Amino acid sequence: MIDPSVSLMDLFSYQFFQFAIVGGVLAAFACAWIGLFLVLRKEAMVVDGVSHTAFGGIALGLFFGVDPILSALVVSILAVMGISYMRKRGLAQSDSATAVMLALGFSTGLIVISLAGGFSVDIFSYLFGSILSISRSDLTLISVLSLAVLIFLSAFYKELLAITFDEESSRMMGLPVRPLSAVFNLIVAVTIILSIKIIGIILVIALIAIPALATLQLRLSFKRSVIMTILIGIVSTVVGILVSAFYNVATSGVIVFTMVGIYLIVAAYAKLG
Amino acid sequence: MGQEPVIEVEGLMVERSGSLVIENATFQVMRGDYVGIVGPNGGGKTTLLLAMLGMIPRQGGVVRIFGKDLRNFSEWEKIAFVPQDAINFDSSFPLSVRELVSLGRLSRRTLGRRLGRQDWNEVDAALEFMGISDLSGKRIGELSGGQKQRMFVAMALTRNPEVIILDEPVAGIDAETQEKFYQKMSDLNQKKGITILMVSHDLTAVFCRMSKLICVNRDVNIADIKPGIDPNEILRKAYGEHFHFVFHRHECRGEFSRD
Repeated sequence: MIDPSVSLMDLFSYQFFQFAIVGGVLAAFACAWIGLFLVLRKEAMVVDGVSHTAFGGIALGLFFGVDPILSALVVSILAVMGISYMRKRGLAQSDSATAVMLALGFSTGLIVISLAGGFSVDIFSYLFGSILSISRSDLTLISVLSLAVLIFLSAFYKELLAITFDEESSRMMGLPVRPLSAVFNLIVAVTIILSIKIIGIILVIALIAIPALATLQLRLSFKRSVIMTILIGIVSTVVGILVSAFYNVATSGVIVFTMVGIYLIVAAYAKLG
Repeated sequence: MGQEPVIEVEGLMVERSGSLVIENATFQVMRGDYVGIVGPNGGGKTTLLLAMLGMIPRQGGVVRIFGKDLRNFSEWEKIAFVPQDAINFDSSFPLSVRELVSLGRLSRRTLGRRLGRQDWNEVDAALEFMGISDLSGKRIGELSGGQKQRMFVAMALTRNPEVIILDEPVAGIDAETQEKFYQKMSDLNQKKGITILMVSHDLTAVFCRMSKLICVNRDVNIADIKPGIDPNEILRKAYGEHFHFVFHRHECRGEFSRD
C-alpha cells in the first residue's frame, strides 16, 4: 500500500503509475469497442476460450525462450482461426468449438509447465494481470497493438456494423464479408493479448464484455453506444488502477468490481427509467 | 415499360433438402416492370428469389442480370433485396433509424471511407420519400412492423438501385398500412422508374398495381397483367383447378373463391 500521505498528484509523478494509466486506457479503449461488436454478435465467450488458449502460448514462449506475449499472440490467432474453421465446417457450434480450444490451450500450458518443472517467471502475472509493473517495452507493445486495433475499427466500423446486423444482406450489398470477418477475428486475438498484461487471462472477458453489456441496457443509437461503452471501460480501468495503487489490492479484481458496479447502476437506471 | 431485360432466367432448377422446389423456370423481367410473385406457401417463391440472386446454389439453368451471367455479375449496388425476415431483427440492437438507413450507402467501392455530405443527403432523401423522416432518431427496435418495412426500403433506396426485390414486405401488417406501402412502391416504379419484384399474397394488390405476374408452385409461369386478361388460367397452375379469382379493374377489387 502506498504511503497515506501520498496525494493523487504525487501518484501521477511515478513512472510505473503513468505506464499503468496509459496502458490501461489504451487497452480499455480497444477492448470496449471490440467488445461491443462481440456482444452484438453473441460471440463474447470466444474471448474466454481464446484467452485461456493464450495461457498455452505463454507457457510455450517461456519454455522456448521466446517473448511469451508474442508466442501467446501466435497461439491466440491459431485458436481464433480454429474456432472459425470448426464452425464453418459444421464440426461444432460456436460455444462447443470455444470449449474445445479453451481446454486444449490450457492443457498445453499445464503440460509445458510440468515439463519445465515450473518457471522462474511469475506465471501468475499473466493469469491475473500486472498492470502496475508493466515495463516500457510492455507499454510500447500494448500501444502498438492498441493503435492497430483502433485504426482498423475506425476505418471499418460501418462495414463491421452492417455485417454484425445482417451478414447475408451485407454479402448481397457486395461487402467483402469473409475477409473483413477474418481480419476482425485476428483483431480480437490481438486485443486479448494486449489485455493480458492489464487484467490477466482469467478476467480479460470482463474488460471486453461488461462495458458493452452495461451500455446495451441504455438502448442508445450505435454512435452513442460506442462512446458510452468506451467510457465505461476507461473509467472502470482508471478507477481500478487508482484504488489498487492506494490500497494495494489486486488491480484486475478492482477493475472488474467497478465494471460490475457500473453495470448494476446502469441496469437499475434503465429499469426505473 | 422498357424492352431491356434486367433479369433473365432460363431453365432454372433448384433443390432444397433433396427435393426439387423450382423446376425449369424460364422468364424475363424487363426494365420498369412491376412484378408480383404469387403462389401457395411452400411453393418456392423465396427459393426462386434466393436462387436468382445466387444466395443459394442452383442445380441447373442460367440466370443473367443486366445481361451478365450471375457468376460474373458484380454490380450489386444496382440491386436492392429486402428479405422476408428483415424486420425480425433483435429489437435491442443499438441502432437509430438514420444509422441503419445509412448502411445502405456501403459497398465494396466505398470500403473504409467515411460517409460524406452526399451520402447523408441520400439518406435523408430516402427517409423523406418513405415518409419516415420524423422517425430518423428513433431506435429501430421501437418501430412498428410497417415502419420497419419502410425503413428497409429507405435503406435500399439510398443505393439508388435499378431493381428492388421484396419478399413478402407487408406480411403481418394492417390493411391501411399495406395500402400505403403499395402506393409508395407504385410511386417508386412510376416516378423513379425502378424495376420492382415483390412476393405478395395479396392478389388484388398484384392485379391492381403491378404490370406482370409470376406464379410459383414448383412450375414458374409469367404473364402480363393487361386490361381484359383472365388471370385464372395461370393462377390455377399455382393454386389448383378449384380456384377462382375475379378481378374488377375499375374498382381495383378482387374476389378469391374456391368451388
